[in-house]
Amino acid sequence: MTTLLYIASMSRDLVQPNAWVAIKLPNDMLRVLQVVPNTTISLGKYGSFPSNLIIERPYNLTYEVQDQEEGETYSRLRIVPGVELNADALADTSADKDAIETSEETAETNDDDDVIVPADGEDFTLVDDSGKVIARSSREVLDDSARQTLTSAEIEELKKKGTSAGQDLIAKLLLSHTAIDQKTQFSLAKYKLLKTKKYIRRFTVLPLDVPLLAHWMLEDKDASKILEMRQESMALLGCWADTHFASQPEEGAEGPHAGQWLVVDDTGGLLTASLAERMGILHQTPEEQEQPETSVADAGSSGQPDGQPTQKPKRRRLNDLEVPYAPNNTLTVLHHNTQPNLFMLRYFDFDNTEINPTPPYHPLYSNLLSLSWLQLVSPELDQTYSDPPAEVDPETVASWKTNQRGNYHRKRRRWARTKHIIDTTRAGGFAGLAVASTMEPISILRHTLPLLAGGAPVAIYSQTVEPLAALADAFSITRRAAWVSSPPAETEGKTVAEIERWEGNDEFPINPTLLLGASIQTSRARRWQVLPQRTHPLMTERGGAEGYIFTAWRAIPVEGKIEARGRFRKRKAGA
Amino acid sequence: MASSSPFLNPSARSRPGDLAIVLLARDSYQPITLEQSTGAVDGYVEGKVLNTRFGSFPHSTFLDVPWGSQIRASHVDTGSRGRKRKLEASGEDTSTPGADDEAKDSEAGSQLTRKAASAPSGFVHILKPSPELWTSALPHRTQVVYTPDYSYILSRIRARPGTRIIEAGAGSGSFTHASVRAVYNGLPQKPEDKKGKVFSFEFNEDRYHKMQDEIVEHKLADMVHLTHRDVYGEGFLVEGKSPEATAIFLDLPAPWKALKHISRRRPQTDGETPKPDDGNWISPLDPKKSVHICTFSPCIEQVMRTVTELRRLGWVDVDMVEVAHKRINVLREKVGLNLPNKKGCNLTPANVTESIDRLKEINEKTKDFNNAQKEKDGDAMAVDPKDSGKANRQGNGKEEEDEKPWAQGRVVHRPEGELKTHTSYLVFAVLPREWSEEDEAAASARWPCGKETKTIGSVDKAARKQAKREMHQMYEMEKGRKRQKRSAGEKQAIGEDTQTST
Repeated sequence: MTTLLYIASMSRDLVQPNAWVAIKLPNDMLRVLQVVPNTTISLGKYGSFPSNLIIERPYNLTYEVQDQEEGETYSRLRIVPGVELNADALADTSADKDAIETSEETAETNDDDDVIVPADGEDFTLVDDSGKVIARSSREVLDDSARQTLTSAEIEELKKKGTSAGQDLIAKLLLSHTAIDQKTQFSLAKYKLLKTKKYIRRFTVLPLDVPLLAHWMLEDKDASKILEMRQESMALLGCWADTHFASQPEEGAEGPHAGQWLVVDDTGGLLTASLAERMGILHQTPEEQEQPETSVADAGSSGQPDGQPTQKPKRRRLNDLEVPYAPNNTLTVLHHNTQPNLFMLRYFDFDNTEINPTPPYHPLYSNLLSLSWLQLVSPELDQTYSDPPAEVDPETVASWKTNQRGNYHRKRRRWARTKHIIDTTRAGGFAGLAVASTMEPISILRHTLPLLAGGAPVAIYSQTVEPLAALADAFSITRRAAWVSSPPAETEGKTVAEIERWEGNDEFPINPTLLLGASIQTSRARRWQVLPQRTHPLMTERGGAEGYIFTAWRAIPVEGKIEARGRFRKRKAGA
Repeated sequence: MASSSPFLNPSARSRPGDLAIVLLARDSYQPITLEQSTGAVDGYVEGKVLNTRFGSFPHSTFLDVPWGSQIRASHVDTGSRGRKRKLEASGEDTSTPGADDEAKDSEAGSQLTRKAASAPSGFVHILKPSPELWTSALPHRTQVVYTPDYSYILSRIRARPGTRIIEAGAGSGSFTHASVRAVYNGLPQKPEDKKGKVFSFEFNEDRYHKMQDEIVEHKLADMVHLTHRDVYGEGFLVEGKSPEATAIFLDLPAPWKALKHISRRRPQTDGETPKPDDGNWISPLDPKKSVHICTFSPCIEQVMRTVTELRRLGWVDVDMVEVAHKRINVLREKVGLNLPNKKGCNLTPANVTESIDRLKEINEKTKDFNNAQKEKDGDAMAVDPKDSGKANRQGNGKEEEDEKPWAQGRVVHRPEGELKTHTSYLVFAVLPREWSEEDEAAASARWPCGKETKTIGSVDKAARKQAKREMHQMYEMEKGRKRQKRSAGEKQAIGEDTQTST
């Protein structure tokens, strides 16, 4: 089953069997589902169709669920070409030509209906036929009694026997509206759009990636689970944390390598996924697929019959103490429970709770490390870390029962991995820190700032501005100046490293010289409706958390006293 | 092989030749290329020197330090440069002394760069470059695409490691730097390797040359291919070949004029009847993938024309947004009558009680004054001296003086004084890959329908009820079976029990 899942994400050009996809419905809702072969995908009132009809088809295509043909038990799909999808929006441009100055570009689209009407003639031409006449009656007031003459029972009936993917029904609805000839062209278009969204049996298949998943969580699922983080905040966070693909360190290079990022994630793994996507370790690509396969093939040459990909032998690690982790291009997740909550990674076919996955390995298997705050701050209190399993000679192990032997190896492997993660994390040298958490940011920074390399960026997301304001205040210019001119008594006689890890007091909650350029920002994308003569921002959008981002860089202060020059001195003297 | 660009693969410590961003003060950045001077430069015996309002900084003090380091200003003789230059004009230097090479320094004598002596005050910080810092520090040639815009755009057009992206025009290069970071996934090992790359186009020759220099200096030449071209007329092919792009960013005055080239088939020109596709025309797009586009235009009229053209050409999911970005200042609001009379303090009552106390005090004073006036008739000028200026003196109350100014008042936040309220409108659209009848026939042959067993997604009411009923029945059956088993087991157990007891 797992191998099937991995193959599912092999190619991102076509929908693969068992791939997670998002299906966009006419009412702009998203359905996130796994395309299991030989099943029926039901979209409720928008119809149902066999999953095999979208497998190995391209993404971003819009389909129309067609009426069942005689003798068939399922509906076939028709690809709706882009020009046909845009017909309504384009129809308006040609109708409005009197009002809009004719340009060389619009001159191409002439007034003839054949430009607007799609080739197969299925779409009705009501808007276009009456376009000009109605436009003249634009000042008429709609009759109060104007209404839809079709009863709901009749509409239900039409829906049942309705043909041509609901377009019939929409046309009938429009024609049966008593005031249809009094509607302005624009209100008619709006009415049609409204009815189309409700009744047309169309859908679009989209590849499930982080922005789409976030949008789905935010709009259709539980926004609080991802701290109401919008795409613009997520994108800003990733940029300010300077996360990107990091190439492998040079052969034989020692010490902490560049390209390791530290993450504090309370968004169920969404932040981790978005950073991983930026680093190229979220989606499994075909090239990465080949690697483990060749190694398996090598092992298979020694008497293994080829074929049967599901029964491939697991690649044996020779030594229990060998860890599977990459030296860089990694994310280290700090979590507050014993296990990290990264459930969102499931949609990318990675399960962090799986202890012994089978090849081909997901890139996150080797590039995602996680440890708890306790393991970071007081590793000696962690049982796994502080209690290395005793080494037993191979003969004794061989004499054990399978169960006991398995336990022994599992324990040793777990200890080796835990030790590796804790030791490398505590060694520091991280290239950046990204945080989206409900925890107090000052407390997070107190423990993570010493782990960052000099000049490494810090980016913290918060739903509300207050925690970030408190944080920025802890690094205010006056406080920094005060620290430099008269450092707190507790820090006297301490080494630079000790002062970096100083736990803070009431006056200085954190060493204020460790960060540079602390600032807060917020960003919001405002959506617009773009239609000729009806272009304006959307009337309503999601409220809730605005989303604020704190950014700064890790500084390495000089040893000893230092005095500012220029404007600073004046201000300090004045303060 | 790893790229050596300081943007993508920074070293742990600063090296000669690296681009560095010097942080002078808040929002004041100075980009410099670090130089290892081998002798006096411009008359400075310390070698190349950066002069700022916070002091002078020889490059030698910036070299081989961890990024993020605070650097002290140095004592640099800026006054007598002209004279010194004349004196040292004859000297040619060969050795390369660093900041710590004091021994060597003294050996080689006055011909070499002198070790910088630190000044008593003044400092800056040195930062490793990132697209964000570069955007703040770069020399403006055109309007800059700022971080809130480019971060959102790159996310929307799905620029990720491995993506091949077309950018026109390059402008000041901020988007170029951000997109290189987004698409970088290593350097190609072989010529046929398809790695993430930026294909950038610039029409203005002057800007093209400056941009090209910058790319080389920032060691990004392997990941950015810059072309000097008018893309409206000549399209997006690079040396006659397709860049096979899947992401496109157009920062052009008339993006609709370039759209005809971003097509999967030969564009149909006006009045021409559509010809069967001839093999000569090459699309700049990846034929197997969906293509995401973003156009960046400040005016709504540009947006209208672009959107119409996109719709006409069959792009889908056409969407327009505007990114509003605010930077927020955090400060301490100090309001109260008892605060020291200093800058940043608002000496008005902090609350009603303070105000009432103050009013009472004034009342008291007025009364005293009136009484004094009355008494004045009898007594001679007996004004109580203790009250005059009492409030003012209170303002400099002693206990307030002791308090730390950074801890006074209340932490508040508000947007910065000047806002960028509009940068540009962003138009997004998607062009799916082509899917022919043959492709469809092949796919449906591999995945025949009609053998569906289960239903996924939303199920209608009747089906849901039916499924529930079935599940219930199953459950009941299971329970029944278990009950039977259990009772049988119990019986046995009881039986055993009785057996043992007997």
